[in-house]
Amino acid sequence: MLFLLSLVQFLYVLVLSPLAIGILKRIEERLESRHGPSIFQEYFNLYKYFKKQSIYPQTASAFFSYVPYIVFALISFLTLVLPIITAFPLIFGPVVDFVGGGLVFGAASTLSKLAAIDSRNNYSILGASRASSIGIFTEPIILLIFIMFGVISGTNNPYIINNVLQTSHHWYYSLVHLFIALAFFFVLIIETSQLPIESETPNELGSIDSLMSLEYSGRELALMKWASYMKSFLLMNVFLNVYTFPFFVPMQYNPLSIAIYMFVNFLKICGLLIILAFINATISKYRLFKIFDYIAVAFSFALVAFVVFYTTNIGR
Amino acid sequence: MIYYLPGLFSMLGALFSFALLRKKERLVSVISSLLSLISAIYLMFCSNFSNNLLYVDNLSKIFTLMIAIVYVGVVVFSIEYITNLKDKFLKVYQYFSLLHIFSAALFFSVTLNNLGLIWVCIEATTFSSALLVAVENDSIAQEAAWRYIIIVSVGLVISLISTLFLYAYANTLSINALIKEKPTGSMFLLGALLSIVGYGTKAGVFPMNTWLPDTHGKAPAPVSAIFSAILLPVSLYPIIRIFQIYQNPKLEFFAFSLGFLTVASASLIAGSQKLYKRLFAYSSIENMGMALVGISLGSWGLFGAIILIFAHALAKSGVFMITGNILHHFKTKKIEDIKGLYKTMPKSALFLLFGSLAVTGAPPSATFFGELLILSKTIQTYGYIAGFCLIFFVGMGFLFINLKVIDMVFSGISAPKKIIESNFVYIPILNIAFSVLFLVAIPFLYEFLKGIIQ
Amino acid sequence: MEKEIFILVGFLEIVMAIFMQWQVYVASNITTFKYQSWILGIFLLAFGFIDKDVPMVILALLTIITRAIFIPKYLLNTINKYLFRARENKHRISTSLSVLVSVLLAIFSYILSIVILSNVGSSLISIPLTLMLQGAFLIVSRSNAYAQMIGYLVMENAMFLMGFIFTSLPFIVEAGVIMDILGIVMIGGILMKIRDEDIKQEEELLG
Repeated sequence: MLFLLSLVQFLYVLVLSPLAIGILKRIEERLESRHGPSIFQEYFNLYKYFKKQSIYPQTASAFFSYVPYIVFALISFLTLVLPIITAFPLIFGPVVDFVGGGLVFGAASTLSKLAAIDSRNNYSILGASRASSIGIFTEPIILLIFIMFGVISGTNNPYIINNVLQTSHHWYYSLVHLFIALAFFFVLIIETSQLPIESETPNELGSIDSLMSLEYSGRELALMKWASYMKSFLLMNVFLNVYTFPFFVPMQYNPLSIAIYMFVNFLKICGLLIILAFINATISKYRLFKIFDYIAVAFSFALVAFVVFYTTNIGR
Repeated sequence: MIYYLPGLFSMLGALFSFALLRKKERLVSVISSLLSLISAIYLMFCSNFSNNLLYVDNLSKIFTLMIAIVYVGVVVFSIEYITNLKDKFLKVYQYFSLLHIFSAALFFSVTLNNLGLIWVCIEATTFSSALLVAVENDSIAQEAAWRYIIIVSVGLVISLISTLFLYAYANTLSINALIKEKPTGSMFLLGALLSIVGYGTKAGVFPMNTWLPDTHGKAPAPVSAIFSAILLPVSLYPIIRIFQIYQNPKLEFFAFSLGFLTVASASLIAGSQKLYKRLFAYSSIENMGMALVGISLGSWGLFGAIILIFAHALAKSGVFMITGNILHHFKTKKIEDIKGLYKTMPKSALFLLFGSLAVTGAPPSATFFGELLILSKTIQTYGYIAGFCLIFFVGMGFLFINLKVIDMVFSGISAPKKIIESNFVYIPILNIAFSVLFLVAIPFLYEFLKGIIQ
Repeated sequence: MEKEIFILVGFLEIVMAIFMQWQVYVASNITTFKYQSWILGIFLLAFGFIDKDVPMVILALLTIITRAIFIPKYLLNTINKYLFRARENKHRISTSLSVLVSVLLAIFSYILSIVILSNVGSSLISIPLTLMLQGAFLIVSRSNAYAQMIGYLVMENAMFLMGFIFTSLPFIVEAGVIMDILGIVMIGGILMKIRDEDIKQEEELLG
């Protein structure tokens, strides 16, 4: 049964992630008083990419062509171990905890950076170096957040953290939790490449992640894009289901409630997308060097959470 | 009522010169300051007094008298100086009214019975005097005024915290009640330590005295005079009270080491000064450091500190006024540009030398006796090594400052043309002369302060 | 309950101080300070009403009028006439470093409250202490006069917060403190308008 649920969850992420991005883009366009593409545009894009022929740079090695498949597989694996439609571990749940999940994410991004370097495109290498210099500084924040949740729940298991926050008002309404959620929101914006950090427009000189897949085409490009959609979708799910709004996630096996929750979850995601769209519409992009100020603020929130924890003696 | 009079007269002076008699602000100022002086002298013969608002004992009376004397001198000296100043930042009536508000706040700081209200008054001196610093309307003067206002305010926030600690512990801020209660306890100690740092900022004590040379160096001469002569000692006044309330070896050692560091740093830095006003600013810092050392030692150390403060106030105000005259005639602040002062401005030159000898503690002056008392008490309390180190630094300051002043006064004989000095030069001369003559009054002062110096 | 709300207010103020450290535009710094004072004023007002403490209510109203309404308005007015002061052109310390230091000050004051002030009372004292150090750091890390003034005002806000932990000062003293702050801001405003931020190394200010 759990196996089936895992499959459902995988398909849920796989199918809905392009839709979420499509909705985000649509809302952004509407906020700018433009009509905008259909919310299903991303599916058409992916379909188009799959039909096209793949071309590799002459200078690139075979590694370059394998990477999209590996990255896609790694991200797909993550869909099986995070609380997305259930708050109890599915069949792969016990395999990794939060730190392990972070490592898998890190592996995926490292591989795509290596592939970008392998492509020998100047812009890709630029993107890779930018992404890694930002990643170096976001990694400690994520780690700090994990540690703080470890302090709260006594474990690094996302399912348990979800259950703790769902059941304990004491923790849910504590300042520690508030600051952690705030810090994670900052990180979410960095990781999903939303506006203060990166804008998606092609003529942007300050783009980061979108530069790395510049040499891909055809099926590989489709896979890279899809993997990045899934990554964004997963992170939003983690942010909602674990960090900020852990309610309604079914804690016991019950097909009906899980089925209902699948819709509720998507509604939650839509709410988050609206917030992100508003941020994208109101904030302008930071210069590259200002991004580190932003990261410093995110880090300071995570650190303040520690200070709160000790100052208020909540744990004791 | 008599106890309010000095402050009240200067308040009235501010009011009249700001609003009612704006055209005659000079006359009004002189009259109000003279009235303050008369009431301060009269106050000397009144009995001690304390109620909810006021706490006037002999120490307060001494401080009031000191403020009043310097205040009158500064007001009279300002009449000519401020008129001759070109391109002023303030109008003349604004200058005088700010000066009066500033002095009123000083008068009240030394007579109030509440450490919190004393804080309020000392903070009031900050903002009433900040614009006086910027009277010379250029970017450096504004920078100096800004540094003054921000550093001193931050320092005073520290002393506000200390006031909070004291109040949280003792549940009263009245000096009268606190002296009776003799509180003990670590929280009171913390408050007292912080208050030394906080008020020390304004008095030019070591860690946060960076504003002082800038401000004294750039302010017009009468303002420098009033700052150096009475603003700094008045900021030490709450510290004296705190030592009166609370004796603790830790606190005494803390104050002693801060004072020692102040003396050491000021006398060393004074050696590298190129501008004469800054040189005398460092001399003020050194003297305040000595006074803090004396206050921390108590008994006859405290007596020495009070003598030092009083004599220094008179002498230093005179010296700063004379530097104003020099600046006016030579249009330069550099020591090396001024040669043969003895030939060009004989009276100023002579009394600049006397004044600088007096503020650095040359033997026949009253400051010498003050420093002697403090040094002997230091040797008694902390041993010969500390005492000789202190003597060494004081001597260094003496040498550095007087060498430069002698350089200004006597060197260079290239046919200078004599400058006619205005009659207002007699005010600094009087002040410096008083400072030397103050020696005679020391036995009376000892009788007068017997209750305070245990 | 009182303690929880105090913690909430305290950490909101700390976060706002961190934001001030982050901001480049002076106007947004002033606005942040305005919100900080509003929060503080409303907090004091609410507790004044709950405890039926009349001086506290008056004090809170005075705080709101002076710090939350008048001072920000005055400072913004002085900026509006001198637009080139609206943005700080250089920080003495890079922004991200100063943000980090600002947070580390929180940890520092927590340790301080445990090591030195443990006999003073609860570890809650580290909250106003943090705010005070952050205000001082804002003064040190910026060369702009407005930012420095804001730093000073943050320190004063911290004073009020600290007064809430201990018994607050007698009413007449507090009122005097407020008047003094008003005086400092008024006089400081006059100086800030004309002060040259990029002052060169001047011989008259050396040594």
